[in-house]
Amino acid sequence: MGEKTPFDEMYNPDGSVREPYRALAEWLAEQPDKGLALMQTDAEAIFRKLGITFAVYGSDEGTEKVIPFDVIPRIIAATEWRRLSKGIEQRVKALNAFLYDIYHRQEILKAGRIPEKLILNNEAFCPQMMGLEPAKGVYAHIIGVDIVRVGPDEFYVLEDNLRTPSGVSYMLEDREAMMLLAPDLFHRSKVAPVETYPENLRRTLESVAPESVRGTPNIAVLTPGIYNSAYFEHSFLADQMGAQLCEGPDLFVDGGKVYMRTTCGPEQVDVIYRRIDDDYLDPLTFRPDSMLGVPGLFDAYRAGNVTLVNAPGTGIADDKAVYTYVPDIIEFYLGEKALLSNVPTYNCTDEDQRAWVLENIADLVVKEVHGSGGYGMMVGPTSTKAMHAEFRKKIEARPDNYIVQPTLNLSTCPTHISGDVAPRHVDLRPYVLIGDEVRITPGGLTRVALKKGSLVVNSSQGGGTKDTWVLED
Amino acid sequence: MRIEIDHSLTCSLPPGAAALVMHLMLTPQSGPSQTVESWSVEAAGIGNAGRFRDGYGNAVHLVNQTRPEGDITIGARGMVVTQDTNGVLGKIAGEPVPSLYKRVTGLTRAPVTLYGKYRSAKDSRLDVLHGLMARVGETLGLREETEPMTQMQATGEQTQSQSTEPGPELPPTADYVHLFIGAARALDIPARYVCGYLAAGEGVAGGLHAWAEAYDDKLGWIGFDAQNQICPTERYVRLAVGLDAESALPLRTVPVGEIVQRAAVKAV
Amino acid sequence: MLGRTAANLFWLSRYVERAENMARLLEVGYRMSLTSRREGGASEHLISMMQAAEVDEGFDAKHEVADVDTVAHYMMFDPDNSSSVYSCLQAARTNARSVRTALTGDMWESMNGAWLEFSQIKPRDVRGAKLLGLLQWVKQRSHEFRGALLGTILRDDGFNFLQAGNFVERADNTARILDMKYYVLLPRATQVGGDLDIQQWTLILRAASAHRAYRHVYHDRYKAHNIADFLILRPEMPRSLIYCANFVQQNLDNLAKIYGRKEKCQEAADSLLALVEGASMEAIFADGLHEFLNEFIARNNRVTDTLSESYNFY
Repeated sequence: MGEKTPFDEMYNPDGSVREPYRALAEWLAEQPDKGLALMQTDAEAIFRKLGITFAVYGSDEGTEKVIPFDVIPRIIAATEWRRLSKGIEQRVKALNAFLYDIYHRQEILKAGRIPEKLILNNEAFCPQMMGLEPAKGVYAHIIGVDIVRVGPDEFYVLEDNLRTPSGVSYMLEDREAMMLLAPDLFHRSKVAPVETYPENLRRTLESVAPESVRGTPNIAVLTPGIYNSAYFEHSFLADQMGAQLCEGPDLFVDGGKVYMRTTCGPEQVDVIYRRIDDDYLDPLTFRPDSMLGVPGLFDAYRAGNVTLVNAPGTGIADDKAVYTYVPDIIEFYLGEKALLSNVPTYNCTDEDQRAWVLENIADLVVKEVHGSGGYGMMVGPTSTKAMHAEFRKKIEARPDNYIVQPTLNLSTCPTHISGDVAPRHVDLRPYVLIGDEVRITPGGLTRVALKKGSLVVNSSQGGGTKDTWVLED
Repeated sequence: MRIEIDHSLTCSLPPGAAALVMHLMLTPQSGPSQTVESWSVEAAGIGNAGRFRDGYGNAVHLVNQTRPEGDITIGARGMVVTQDTNGVLGKIAGEPVPSLYKRVTGLTRAPVTLYGKYRSAKDSRLDVLHGLMARVGETLGLREETEPMTQMQATGEQTQSQSTEPGPELPPTADYVHLFIGAARALDIPARYVCGYLAAGEGVAGGLHAWAEAYDDKLGWIGFDAQNQICPTERYVRLAVGLDAESALPLRTVPVGEIVQRAAVKAV
Repeated sequence: MLGRTAANLFWLSRYVERAENMARLLEVGYRMSLTSRREGGASEHLISMMQAAEVDEGFDAKHEVADVDTVAHYMMFDPDNSSSVYSCLQAARTNARSVRTALTGDMWESMNGAWLEFSQIKPRDVRGAKLLGLLQWVKQRSHEFRGALLGTILRDDGFNFLQAGNFVERADNTARILDMKYYVLLPRATQVGGDLDIQQWTLILRAASAHRAYRHVYHDRYKAHNIADFLILRPEMPRSLIYCANFVQQNLDNLAKIYGRKEKCQEAADSLLALVEGASMEAIFADGLHEFLNEFIARNNRVTDTLSESYNFY
């Protein structure tokens, strides 16, 4: 599969420009020599000055990098987006229905549509959530859906992110930077706005406040602190929606309610957009050694005095092993066929499939079931023989710990590479908000693999981002 | 049987704690086998507690104190009227789906030698469960019938995980329960941990106790006390349930303290 | 506002001020070491400067000889020295990062920019004339930050916490410089100081950026009495104890108005100001300059302690 020419989002095979990219092509042709390079330098300065940095795991503490930003936007036509967003909406509704069911009567397990053990013995399943009635019935309020494109009409969902998906600040800042760098390009196109995200986030959070709350709910963003790789995003979002940015020690529980410590004394908190993982959220209920969380927070949530966004235990719906069942999940709860396809996934616990996988590992992508961020994964075609052997052994040792997928020939977009424009592989993460209604921000975050031929777009592995334009009719 | 319970807990905290948060599961509920006639929980801050049901259906108090000083003492006492149901609890409305209790936890693993022979057996589920109870008893050992029971054993001080001790050479109660639960779950039978009280008598020590409940599709929940090799009688009072001893603890705190508890359980 | 936010703002400002003070002290020590005519004199000046900065013990533990390079490195770049410019800027920036949403964009950019630039400097490239340039740069970045603060931030509780931090730190710094050299300021039989006195007086004035301002105010040669008066009681001198105490008192008063209640910290600030307001140098000398300065430092510390208590710093 690797040898086939990837789908180029800008150029048709005959070299002509695809319709959505027409204005961009003209604009690119008009740029003077070194124009893009200068723009690139300006962009870097803008990001660094704003402090938009991320910490790389494994590197020295305190080292911060500016995530590379590519000055050429990625463009999606209105018709393409309509199709995508319908599919996304269907998916997130089904996943929330699934979560409700799993934490109540478990009908889908009784019906035998998903193996019981896969859910019940999953680490991401949170028994403490049983029977809880979340506001508006929503568990996952903020979802990032990773989508890849392989042809003009072929989109696949690579994975769903229902825990604490990050990156939305890059989507917003990429747009800010792009408007500063190339205002003239915006004049030539009708681009759907993304600036509405913080306001929509606020509305979503307000809509799921506990019923007892009168007046405007008090919202806090709970961050693990300044050494977290996404701290910039946490402070950015808190700022943009006028919420208080809190660390664990800023909050405490009293009389079953949650308060923040302010200069004027305690102030009750109604909704917490938490960016701390389940395990660390509350040492009283989860990991007792957590210094990041708030003791008693989960109990206060259970008592109905505060809303946690996303709910604990949503990770069961984006588990890589559960992923393969999402089409069944959609059918089971909505009675519809999935509008967006899953990437075909091989099950290594099945002997025949495993044998085939081990044979063909050089052409396949292997992912750890609980891994994320590009860690613990192997892309067959770009890995060494030694890596293939290593992953063969790993799969044989723990077949249930890996899922295997064909190497997808991700679409490419024109990308600025040291003064030139060259095609690079991209993916897309649209952000979805679910509260009183489903709100999908047009576009999302485009991640681009800056290395030639590379298919790994994660920022931790040398990926960059692009502003993503959804054109309006 | 009318059973009077006086359960007291003491928690020694590390010095200098700025705040204490406690999760109390010290409120028994009325059900098919028991009616709670009167009950009270005493602890500093209880009047202001958050109250709710947890994921297993237990009644919980969330209590907090600022600048806790010295040892924290908590008392739970009251009167519960029980009736003998032959250990059968039945199906209880409002409880989580029984299949939840198929989840295997770190504490609830059993060796295949214990349950292997029941995997393809044609026995009824009830027979299988009785068989498992016997196997657990054989595996971990049982108290001699004739061994006299002292008052110390009946109300002696216990740490949370220990509950009633069968004797110096025998493993703690929780081991019997976990082994039984682990075996049942391995056979795809929902099984849960019950933390409760046992009134002294009939050659058994009274006080805090723990046993298992397993689910039968027809009969519903049935209790099994592998340590004493019987199904719960009217001497048993249920306090809290969970996946294992950890999730059914009567008291959890942050910061973590050392907890000592004793319960005087008398049939009156 | 979160109690932690208030604490971060207060300390952010303190650390920026401290970085500036360290740079100024190092500059004085460096200048004096250049002009010292005696054998070992350079080292003496550097050591006495480190005493004023209260970093001499830490330095001694690490180094045998106090020469310009080791002292400059210790004061500028050593992360083991919690008062080095490096440590101060890092602490300031860490505090700023924790409260980004409470800062204006200009303040953040100034702070972040200062840290990014400073953290990229290679210590071994900074010698001789380059050192003075860098010290100048530190002071300028501190001024820039203060400018951004004064020019852009809302005059709310956050502003008052920032300002309180700045002036509590400055008061502490001035008081410590004076206390370290108080014996050269005591009245003596001979009114005319020797060369050594002149050098010490210059050190004190320069460390408070006051050597030119002194002439504007007194139109006189250096006199111990005047110098003490200038740095303690002159309300127009922006680093004098009375000026700082006044500022702190006002900021805390503003906080009481904003929050609608007086707390212990307002009392503490009132008592700090009471010590210098209406005092005369004669009385201070009569009761003991050293005792006076110690009392001032203690009352100033009490402002920080009570402020933390009153507004839930943690």
